[in-house]
Amino acid sequence: MATAAAGAQPYIPGRARSELIRKGVAYAALVVIAAIFFIPFLWTIITSFKSLPDSVNVTLIPHPWTTRAWHEVWSQYSFGTYIKNSLFLAVVITACNMFLAGLGGYAFARLKFPGRELLFLLVLGTLMVPDQLRLIPVFVMLTNWHLIASFKGYILINLVTATNLFFMRQYFLTIPKDFEEAAKLDGAGYFKTFWRVMLPLALPAIAALTILQFQGTWNDFFWPLILFGQGSAHLYTVQLGLAEFKLTYSTNWPDLMAGSVIAILPILAIFIAFQRYFIAGQVSAGVKG
Amino acid sequence: MAASTTPVPARDSLFGARLREAGWGYAFVLVPITVFGLFFIYPFGYAIYISFFHWGILGKQPGTGSIGFANYHQVLHDPIFHTAIKNTLEYTAGVLPLEMAMGLLMALVVNQSIRGQKFWRAAFYFPSLASSVAITTIALYLAASDGLINRVFGTTTPWFTTASTVTWAIVVLNAWTTSGTVMLFYLAALQSIPTDVYEAAAVDNTSTWRTFWKITFPLLRPAHFFVMVVFGIGALKVFDQQFIASGGTGGPNYSTYTAVLYIFREAFQTFDFGVAAAAGVVVFIGIFTLTVIQRLTVGRSEAA
Repeated sequence: MATAAAGAQPYIPGRARSELIRKGVAYAALVVIAAIFFIPFLWTIITSFKSLPDSVNVTLIPHPWTTRAWHEVWSQYSFGTYIKNSLFLAVVITACNMFLAGLGGYAFARLKFPGRELLFLLVLGTLMVPDQLRLIPVFVMLTNWHLIASFKGYILINLVTATNLFFMRQYFLTIPKDFEEAAKLDGAGYFKTFWRVMLPLALPAIAALTILQFQGTWNDFFWPLILFGQGSAHLYTVQLGLAEFKLTYSTNWPDLMAGSVIAILPILAIFIAFQRYFIAGQVSAGVKG
Repeated sequence: MAASTTPVPARDSLFGARLREAGWGYAFVLVPITVFGLFFIYPFGYAIYISFFHWGILGKQPGTGSIGFANYHQVLHDPIFHTAIKNTLEYTAGVLPLEMAMGLLMALVVNQSIRGQKFWRAAFYFPSLASSVAITTIALYLAASDGLINRVFGTTTPWFTTASTVTWAIVVLNAWTTSGTVMLFYLAALQSIPTDVYEAAAVDNTSTWRTFWKITFPLLRPAHFFVMVVFGIGALKVFDQQFIASGGTGGPNYSTYTAVLYIFREAFQTFDFGVAAAAGVVVFIGIFTLTVIQRLTVGRSEAA
């Protein structure tokens, strides 16, 4: 190495070269990982435009190019109903979580009431009870209350999650108290302070919660399977419908791939639009939770 | 709302205000606490209760009392349960190191000063958000005996429906879909490492490789620990992929039975809720013990 040419700073050329190598390796890794990650998705989309015999060929261009799979998914199977059901549940549950986790988070962060710490311990204890243990008793309870095979039961057990409440509480703790005191001086009550002052201030947290909860409910398979899976086809969500579809037509790949695209696409669209909230929410919910 | 801007009369002063605040506090947490109590805390005890009875789809068998530990005895002596636990542990032991290694590698790459950093970060994270059912369906297609993977490698193994390969196929599948989330946590941890540590290493002309193993990797310990606990507990819950791959049967030859699938099938195929509840309790105790052990061993040095 001609280090002498650099004069007083002998490190620089070496560093620049290692920097260059490092960047080269980084870009190579990026391309390889991205290829491995996205070929499956690309393949899925291509296959959804193929005919059934063509779906086992390793070809990039469908031959013949056909939208038959998409038509079948819409007309012969009830993906329209599934989408409606999934959207309904995701919107209702997300709205409930936003409101109740916000309200509860605010109370735990700011209001003083006897037993607050004890109740908060109960919230944290909730995180320790896994679905493996909850499954049977919750199913038995909902059966006794005639809430199996109805959206009501599913919404009820998902009204608000401890993770969301904890997440909102942590965010409210970071907001300076001046805002509430100003609101109090203006004569606002507790609910008005929450609704008009605190909730708008917590918008980034609300955005993260909304997006992650919507994604969670849209993708949920376990609880819909337990509650609607015993023959309540009119209540099927997209995930349940796709699973049933896989069971019935195990190798009708073009139709299955079209169904998979439908199951993924809404989340992809939301992700592209609200990317930064997804990432911020995932990290802070995880790190603090 | 009783709050007003006019001066508050003396008798309604501190006590009244406190009472009002407490009242609103209880009102605000009422629904969440009810939901948590009803669907988490109470079921915890109820599961244990159910596990001591003959309990079918119609509830407790009329006229019979507690059967003691009979359900537990049945679960613990059921070879299928043993297989389910073995499969779950094998899966966890396989997926956890793989997703951690991939997540860390991706975080290191994305953390370089590269063009389109945000784009790459988002691209790697995206598979974590896609639905498990769709992802598994896609994987079944790619790994079918005449699918893309076998065509490329000139093999014909249907990886997800062969007893000896399915666990590892699901390990690879889930490493793909979870490493993006692991990456986010490592990325956050990497960005919190002070840069002067690296400057010191650069002055000493330490190689990139050595810098990573001697400085970066040890400094990431809290992140390693966090990921291990959170994703380890997540891995023990694995269900969706095995359910889709086997059509809910747990086959072939019980190779896709996991702890959760066992509980599911005891409840909804055999309709033996008592046994299913007992299995749930056993699994819970297992997870709890593992977490405590992990906290005492790996976690102890963390607290110091």
